[in-house]
Amino acid sequence: MTTVYRVLFMVLLIALWQIASMNVGRNLIPSPLATFHTGTAMLADGRLVGALGASLSIYLTGLFLAIVIAIPLGIVMGGIRLLGKTLEVYVYALSATPRVAFIPLIIALLGLGFEAKITVVLLGAIMPILINTYAGVLAVDTQLIEMARSVGLSRTGIFVRIVLPGSVPFIIVGLRLGATIGLINTVVAELYTAVTGLGGLLAIYGNSFRMEEYFVVVLTLAMIGVVVTETLRLLESRLSGWKTAG
Amino acid sequence: MSSAAPAPVASAAPPDRGRQRIVLENVFKSFERAGQKTQVLADISLSADDGTFISLLGPSGCGKTTLLRLADGLIAPDSGRIAVSGHPPRPGPETGFVFQSFRLIPWATVSANIEFALLPTGLGRAERRERARRYMDLVGLTRFADSYPGELSGGMGQRVALARALIPEPKILLMDEPFAALDAQTRELMQTELMRLWSRLGSVVLFVTHSVDEAIALSDKIVLMGPRPGRILEVIDVGLPRPRQLFEMRSEPRFIELRDYLWNRIRTLVLTDPASDFYGRDLEPE
Ligand SMILES: Nc1ncnc2c1ncn2[C@@H]1O[C@H](COP(=O)(O)OP(=O)(O)OP(=O)(O)O)[C@@H](O)[C@H]1O
Ligand SMILES: [Mg+2]
Repeated sequence: MTTVYRVLFMVLLIALWQIASMNVGRNLIPSPLATFHTGTAMLADGRLVGALGASLSIYLTGLFLAIVIAIPLGIVMGGIRLLGKTLEVYVYALSATPRVAFIPLIIALLGLGFEAKITVVLLGAIMPILINTYAGVLAVDTQLIEMARSVGLSRTGIFVRIVLPGSVPFIIVGLRLGATIGLINTVVAELYTAVTGLGGLLAIYGNSFRMEEYFVVVLTLAMIGVVVTETLRLLESRLSGWKTAG
Repeated sequence: MSSAAPAPVASAAPPDRGRQRIVLENVFKSFERAGQKTQVLADISLSADDGTFISLLGPSGCGKTTLLRLADGLIAPDSGRIAVSGHPPRPGPETGFVFQSFRLIPWATVSANIEFALLPTGLGRAERRERARRYMDLVGLTRFADSYPGELSGGMGQRVALARALIPEPKILLMDEPFAALDAQTRELMQTELMRLWSRLGSVVLFVTHSVDEAIALSDKIVLMGPRPGRILEVIDVGLPRPRQLFEMRSEPRFIELRDYLWNRIRTLVLTDPASDFYGRDLEPE
């Protein structure tokens, strides 16, 4: 049922897009059909695939690094109260600082290439994952812990069987936020460092008013976002099949 | 503890150190909240022999749950001595605990929840499965083995909690209103099963209930507690013969006598104790 409504809404969006393309002057908004043709052409000549590959490799590497650092760190911070209390202020301070502020420093340290770009992605994606993992470990049900203690489970047993599974829903929220911010930062990185990938195309076509190509790139980015968040949603419903509907 | 109850039919066995499974001596416990200290239990002395069934009866907030948590070793007393099997209490498979709020693991199935209590026992996987099957059957939940707690009714959830406490077949059973959420018939069934298991295992049971009838029907001794601070007012020997027919015994003179006595005792306690939540409330009809 949802699918039907989603498709209907897409039809509505395309209709609005069509209307906008006919009414906004100076060819600023290309028609859906023209955009589609440009898109197939860009796919055929390899421009889109090349840029997509470059962006995805930055995005996925940065996101992967963020995940393998943030989840264990969040768990350790939540598990060892003193460590958590010591570090949390700094984590919150860092997450409140716009990460763009670090770009000049990153460029100075790492140059304009791949390392600099994945660092920008990593910095963006890591904070929501870390903060949510940490919050998940802290939000554990103390009544369940007491139950597990009463049963005779060791501290490690309690951590593995109660604390970790209990924080999974939080971690998934963090992953969703991290994945979104990571994608944004991929484009930011490609705009601010060596101009490559989808972000690079965005800059080139935007600056030269080639709006059809420009729209194709924007839509491609949107589609990556959809694929990533839907994958995570699938993972979530896998892991939380125990949650009752409604 | 003196007994002001009607003449006990049979007194408890003389104190025999070897059989005293749970001993509390002059136990005090307070909780601190927002810098304010409340005395929750004051000067509790109680001992429970193997094979005895002891009910704790008393108005809400008099520290019954706290007493069970102390006996399990989940919390430590401020002062006084607690010994279980001769040692300071330590939670584990030798002690089963049915929590008042069931405390089921929401992401684990019914059978996994029940098996959970066997994890620290070192039993093999197959053995754990087999036992979980038996106890699921005992509480009548075989058909729901693969359901999650969120899909169960309150009474079913309580039966899962019950099975989880029983499955290690513990020497000591601490039960906090374990049947409160059950319908009358299921309750009687579970009472009967508990009686059976208890006499087979020879365990000692500390059983919290708000039901006077249930306390009389199941117990050897009834510990009547008063609030603020929680203290033991009286220990009553039930003195009804065993095995008991839970239903028929309700018309026995001793049962009726005890029930009247306890009802009056608790009513007076709730209405006339200045520490009670309902102090001075009028119970006369208009
Ligand atoms: N962890 C805690 N922190 C602060 N106060 C507590 C804590 N646990 C219990 N208390 C207080 O101790 C008193 C006794 O609580 P307890 O749960 O033992 O009562 P109870 O006899 O089991 O009551 P009920 O019949 O309602 O279950 C209450 O006044 C309660 O507010
Ligand atoms: Mg209680």
